[in-house]
Amino acid sequence: MKVLVTGAGGFLGRRIVDSLLRMGVSHLRVHVRQAPPAGMIESLQQKYPQAHIETVQANLLSRGELEPLVSGVDCIVHAAAGMKGAAADMFANTVLTTRNLLEAAGAQNIRRIVLISSFSVYCAESIPKGGLLSEATPIEPVGVNKGPYGYAKTRQEHLFKEFQQRFGFESVILRPGVIYGPGGGSMSSRVGIRALGFFFSLGGRAQLPLTYVDNCADAVAQAALKAPAGSAFNVVDDDLPTCKTYLQSYCREVEKMRRVPVPYWAFELGARFLVWYNQKSKGQLPALFTTYVVRSMYRPLRHNNAALKAIGWTQGVSTAEGLSRSFRYWKAQLQSAKSS
Amino acid sequence: MLKIAIVGCGKIADGHVEQIRALGRGEVVAVCDREPLMVEQLAVRMNIPGRFTDVDEMLRATRPDVVHIATPPESHVAIACAALRFGCHVFVEKPFALNEADAQIILDCARQEGKRVSVNYLYNFEPPGLELEQLLAKRALGEIVHLDTMYGYNLAGDYGLAVMADPKHWVHRLPGKLFHNVLDHVLAKVITHLSDDTEVQVLAFRRRPASGNPVIDALDDELRFIIRSGNTTVTGLVSAHGRPVAHTLRVVGTKDTVELDYTGRTLVHSANWSQPSALGRLFPAWVQARQFARNGWRNLGLFRRYEYHYFQCMRVLLDRFYDAVEDKGPDPIEPAHILRVCRVIDQIVLGMGAAK
Repeated sequence: MKVLVTGAGGFLGRRIVDSLLRMGVSHLRVHVRQAPPAGMIESLQQKYPQAHIETVQANLLSRGELEPLVSGVDCIVHAAAGMKGAAADMFANTVLTTRNLLEAAGAQNIRRIVLISSFSVYCAESIPKGGLLSEATPIEPVGVNKGPYGYAKTRQEHLFKEFQQRFGFESVILRPGVIYGPGGGSMSSRVGIRALGFFFSLGGRAQLPLTYVDNCADAVAQAALKAPAGSAFNVVDDDLPTCKTYLQSYCREVEKMRRVPVPYWAFELGARFLVWYNQKSKGQLPALFTTYVVRSMYRPLRHNNAALKAIGWTQGVSTAEGLSRSFRYWKAQLQSAKSS
Repeated sequence: MLKIAIVGCGKIADGHVEQIRALGRGEVVAVCDREPLMVEQLAVRMNIPGRFTDVDEMLRATRPDVVHIATPPESHVAIACAALRFGCHVFVEKPFALNEADAQIILDCARQEGKRVSVNYLYNFEPPGLELEQLLAKRALGEIVHLDTMYGYNLAGDYGLAVMADPKHWVHRLPGKLFHNVLDHVLAKVITHLSDDTEVQVLAFRRRPASGNPVIDALDDELRFIIRSGNTTVTGLVSAHGRPVAHTLRVVGTKDTVELDYTGRTLVHSANWSQPSALGRLFPAWVQARQFARNGWRNLGLFRRYEYHYFQCMRVLLDRFYDAVEDKGPDPIEPAHILRVCRVIDQIVLGMGAAK
């Protein structure tokens, strides 16, 4: 089977490539926007000498020019997405790119497509406190209330389903929680935010849906190769810490921060005030948090990975080990930044 | 209420919609973009009823009073002229046009149709810009001898990364490439002090290492220029590497000199060392500190009155433009000044080529 991985130079994408090769994929096409990270292809080729690895440079925003990228592959793992920038940029780099890729894939009759979506697409506001967020939870009808990233990922998933119905390819969707690891960001906004020299701890006792980047990549590869068509999977690890525990460990192992714990009720009240002030001041300060976002993302919920385990995924790196590796990396980064 | 339509649904369109709504003088009735998904995202996020992928169809269906154009500059002539001929007033994002000739076409069309046209030279309407406007009206600085305009650009920011990662980005097609996209801001602040007779010297170069991509590497990232117009001179600095990323103007007059920081929203008069000996040198720092404190209080007052939005300057500019549209005031930016900015940009682009 020949597999194409889009966004293969990214934080998750490069690990997906490794996992696919380790699981026996012999022909792999690596998509990058410009050039692959230095040494990436050479080290993969050294590690998997039998594998045939090709690199294709393409801008997924170039509509109508992507058929050469997808031509001849049996499966596409679509990991490229816009993770930052203004709302319009994030939308373009997530939704337009997906539309362009799926048009090309449809024209080339690609058999199987795997989409890396996100937890942010879930309509989690209606789940009672302590309830389970699972693959059966409905996804947002529009997602615009979830902010720019949530909106873009929701629209991307709806678009994916529209194209699946149009072209009939085998679809698999993975929705990772918070992907972490060396090379990634250290602090999800689910834990809290830095502002004015303080760290406002927002997540409190809510479970932090972590997935170590290597484990997440293994889940994607396993689903790409083994999952039944039409399936969807939440991607989280076992032994998940609460946001509070994570923050305490981070402060102990990486850097000390002046923490301000914000209880859930105060956070919800604060969000209500922010929205009121945003309207009253005609947008002078952005409504960074709304009550809808607070209820969707910060209420204590349970998560599990039973569906993933049912297709044979196992957690390769324990949560304790993943956190330890990540903390060591972030501490070294901080020290290096200070010394330079 | 004015009926307003927006063409171009990229990220700057959000700023237009927000400021139009904050002003409360118009209603955004439609948005238009060649890319239907971009139309959809703006209309959904901002709750706008009219969605179009064709400008002419939008004009016929919604009959707007004003059209805001927020598309890449190569499309400005066609869209602006179509809207003007349809009877709309037009507000154009910078860069106004690719060159002086294109700018002239738009301005001629507006004159023929009897409609207003303006451009988003928003920084002239920042608090320090408005204060400078008052000082100049009172001739408090005397005759202007020199202006030093500085504009920083962060290539590692979201927009910079988008430009650097995509050789097909429209910025690479501009005659002055990266600089062309910011020179309107750099020059709009000084253009009222120049005549139509200008002499320009230019130095432009790429400071960052080569990437190997010829399109990306053709993009210079450091620009210096000197303009002489009669007895007034202007020096300009556009830098992608200088930190902090600065946006400043220094105006040197025969009576007084002022320094404007558009990022910090401050205007201070340069220190005047009037007391004798070493003792005299104790005073200027405190005098300057008092000036900065006054600026701080002024800004706090603006914040308290909800007049401190990041795009507050665009709000002031649009307010004046809509005054002009409703015949309640003059053009906030004279057409002759728009044309002059485009002409000086042409001269700088020519100078960049000659320097190579």
